[in-house]
Amino acid sequence: MIYLLLIYACIFIINVPGLVKRKEWRELAVFSIFYVIAFALGLMYVLDKPIPSPMKGLQHLIVDILGIEYPQG
Amino acid sequence: MSIEKGKISSQQLLFLIAGFVHGSVLLIDFTVGITEHQTWMVILAGLVITVPVIVSYVALAKRFPGMNLVQINDMVYGRFLGKIISIYYIFFFMMTLSFNIRDVGELYITFLMQDTPFIFLLIVFTATCAFAVAKGVEVLARTSHLFVVTGLFAIISTFILLIDQMDFSNFLPLFELPFIKIFQGIHIVSVIPFGETVVFLMIMGCLNKTEHAVKNTLSGLLVGAVSLFIVAIRNTAVLGRTQTIWTSASFQSIRLINIGTVLTRMDFLIGIAQTILMFLKCSIFLYVTVVAISQLFGLKSYLPLVLPLAGIEVILAATVFQSPVDHATITQNAGIIYSVPLIFVFPPLSLLIAKIRGLPKPERGKGT
Repeated sequence: MIYLLLIYACIFIINVPGLVKRKEWRELAVFSIFYVIAFALGLMYVLDKPIPSPMKGLQHLIVDILGIEYPQG
Repeated sequence: MSIEKGKISSQQLLFLIAGFVHGSVLLIDFTVGITEHQTWMVILAGLVITVPVIVSYVALAKRFPGMNLVQINDMVYGRFLGKIISIYYIFFFMMTLSFNIRDVGELYITFLMQDTPFIFLLIVFTATCAFAVAKGVEVLARTSHLFVVTGLFAIISTFILLIDQMDFSNFLPLFELPFIKIFQGIHIVSVIPFGETVVFLMIMGCLNKTEHAVKNTLSGLLVGAVSLFIVAIRNTAVLGRTQTIWTSASFQSIRLINIGTVLTRMDFLIGIAQTILMFLKCSIFLYVTVVAISQLFGLKSYLPLVLPLAGIEVILAATVFQSPVDHATITQNAGIIYSVPLIFVFPPLSLLIAKIRGLPKPERGKGT
């Protein structure tokens, strides 16, 4: 947990002061979105919460719903 | 306006593509489980099928000089549909990057550093890629020939050292497998190492001259394909039918090297070469992902997104599959099916639409 906070504090320090100084608000907004997503995912991983896999969903859509699959065996 | 200001030569593109395809050399294990001793044929067939598609990528890049895939999609399909297609591409880039980062982690956990925490390996590797991406595509392109030479040295030297253990009757009988298995094998090969070169549509806009782009792209593809071919031949000739039961046929065959009990345990050589090539491949994928997202949002620079994206990719890589078996099962089906439109349909279709609509419209047309 402490490592996660340290890593994300470093990412914040590396990026945010420069963006604010240059008044790049659009960049700051997009950075914030991805920063929050990354931190949330990291937090879920550290707290051992289940993270849904996009590939599982895709596999379900393609194989189970659309029925497109190569024969096994 | 394009995000990347750096320029690369078409010769550097050759090495980038060669290293990129070569970086997938351990991924032929996905095919080996299906096509067994006929993997070498599948690699050749996959190459032949993919070449026209890759020529269409270069033709598209030459038609829209200085533009990347997101800009081309916006111009060809319009802002709304173009953005949807670009988001589909970004999803593909992100997923493929997470698979490749996971592959590196699995490589180390299974063969080289069994006691190291998986997430630590992923973080260290992704941070290194993020550092390279922050330096820009020019730096990657300038160093790419070193990666390719290292990879080729590892493959050729291990091939020579294993010649005495090769049995070429392992390739027989030919044409034994059912057609559907060969088809699936060709599908895997044409998507995973060769079709993934669609990422270069995000990089080809940085070419300083496009005259020799087709020749250099195909040469790079050929160098990569020859590496895959040599590895497939080596694994089948050395291991025969047992190659399908190992987690990694390449590692198993190299572990058999024993020259006078002095030259043994050469698997570290493949470990080093593979790490270097996967670093190149993952750096290219991370670069195109951040550039595509930045272009989509109309940012001036992609640099602020590198570290947050790297953080997302680490967690995706750690959680996307539950096990190597899960990884193989999903990749052999949904993984190769969902990427077909992105690799085989959209780029040639974009080229066709651009030709019909006469895109890009010449600048002087606005004033007259």
